[in-house]
Amino acid sequence: MNSLVHSQARLIDALDGSVLAGAELSARVTAAADELSALPDGVLFARMSQDVPSVLRYLGAFESGRAIAMIDPALDADVLAGLVARFRPAAVLGAEGDAPEGYRLTGTSWERISPEGVKPHPDLAVLLPTSGSTGNPKLVRLSRSAVLHNAESIARVLGIDADEVTATNLPLHYSYGLSVLNSHLLRGATVVVEANGVMARPFWTTVETYRVTSLPGVPYHYEMLRRLRFDPAKYPSLRTLTQAGGKLRVELVTEFNDKMRAVGGRMFVMYGQTEAAPRMSTVPAERLADKLGSAGPALPGGSFSIRAEDGSEITTPGVDGEVVYRGPNVMMGYAENEAELAGGDEVGGVLVTGDLGHLDEDGYLYITGRLKRIGKVFGNRVNLDDLEQVVKGYGPAAAVPAGDKVVVWLQDADAEACKAAARTLSERLHLHVTGFDVRQAGDFPLLPSGKIDYRSLEARV
Amino acid sequence: MSLNDRLRTVFIETMQLDADFDVENLKYRDIEEWDSVGHMALVAAIEDEFDVQFDTDQVIDMSSFKVAADMLNDMGAK
Repeated sequence: MNSLVHSQARLIDALDGSVLAGAELSARVTAAADELSALPDGVLFARMSQDVPSVLRYLGAFESGRAIAMIDPALDADVLAGLVARFRPAAVLGAEGDAPEGYRLTGTSWERISPEGVKPHPDLAVLLPTSGSTGNPKLVRLSRSAVLHNAESIARVLGIDADEVTATNLPLHYSYGLSVLNSHLLRGATVVVEANGVMARPFWTTVETYRVTSLPGVPYHYEMLRRLRFDPAKYPSLRTLTQAGGKLRVELVTEFNDKMRAVGGRMFVMYGQTEAAPRMSTVPAERLADKLGSAGPALPGGSFSIRAEDGSEITTPGVDGEVVYRGPNVMMGYAENEAELAGGDEVGGVLVTGDLGHLDEDGYLYITGRLKRIGKVFGNRVNLDDLEQVVKGYGPAAAVPAGDKVVVWLQDADAEACKAAARTLSERLHLHVTGFDVRQAGDFPLLPSGKIDYRSLEARV
Repeated sequence: MSLNDRLRTVFIETMQLDADFDVENLKYRDIEEWDSVGHMALVAAIEDEFDVQFDTDQVIDMSSFKVAADMLNDMGAK
């Protein structure tokens, strides 16, 4: 299969304005690959900061067929240590601090001392941790062809060409952020590597200086843009907004779609999961207004079906069931340890999403809920049962989703304990404390079965 | 309470910092709590506390406690 990096692709470092393109970019990618080729067998762990060296390490690994796991640089040291122990990576790139046992510090990497390691499956290219710094994250195994197919499909539905310019305002260890990078490099577009994000002046200076044409965001970015009273007329180059990472309030979809259309721009609402590399659907910009609330039709090459509780397929439009996606971008499976890195495809291109939803007569998907107990905190998927475990020291807890946050009810806690519990959650999950609304509940409402009645708690939010 | 003391309280409560935290010298992204999400919460809390409304430029230029205090003074907040 062809390369991820198109010959016209450009990387710009917003720190100093330096441009990497053409032969120089490919030479830098090759140099990064050469450095990695000296490492022993095994997966690579890369702490992905928003900087050019991190991008080059990723591209070097991808283009030379070396499996690479993208790690949040803010991940707790003990969670990282647990991942290193379970997966025995050949190296941790961009590491900080002393190397753990069995590793030596070389430059900015921890390199495994023992040359003995499991060779990852030859199709395996990118691994992304399932969210949840709680417990033991699994790694989603994505093949090279899944990543390339998805990048190509995204580029096609968004109309990305060599004139497009985007910035890395989403983390590169986050599947959406990575897909923005991939889909632009594949089409020979420009990616400005920038670390500040939309709430700071340097980001908007970057937008003006490099004439950024598109901006991706998860729902909380749109809440920020609204607070900033974002006006696209002030940024004449910026004509495309994309949104994924959770359902955006319909009022905001309308507001931003109207703003963009008023200046001749476009907005795309999309749906995906890390397990699909990650994009599954996109609403065409010209249909957004009349398909409000929809996640769109499946990407080219993919398809949705809706599954009833008994496993049969629901073919009647408008009837809810579990969303199942089929496509060339679906993961090979998960890995929980080093041995499983050698495994092949276990799912056959079928992703059972755990989301509830239905299709309309035109094949547009509408997500209506989750089968599993999952919430989103600022775009990050969190397991609600795990959250309850994290705060069990404060007594019985019940966590429910609340838009871009979660509400955690504590049965026996006072206001001080609620604040302390929110801090604990923030520290353990590395998500901002305002994403955890911890409240006193009194006795939990119960179902006849004696289980906590989460629906009634959700209604109280 | 002086403007600085009230602003200090807003910072400490929004970002759940210790009561004796040195917020007067704090700059955006110095600490994990003051990231883009924290900034959004902070701006909203300051607007509520001082009954003001910041414009776009003010929000993205509010790069430190001192800058925020100066902006409030310039806006005549008390």
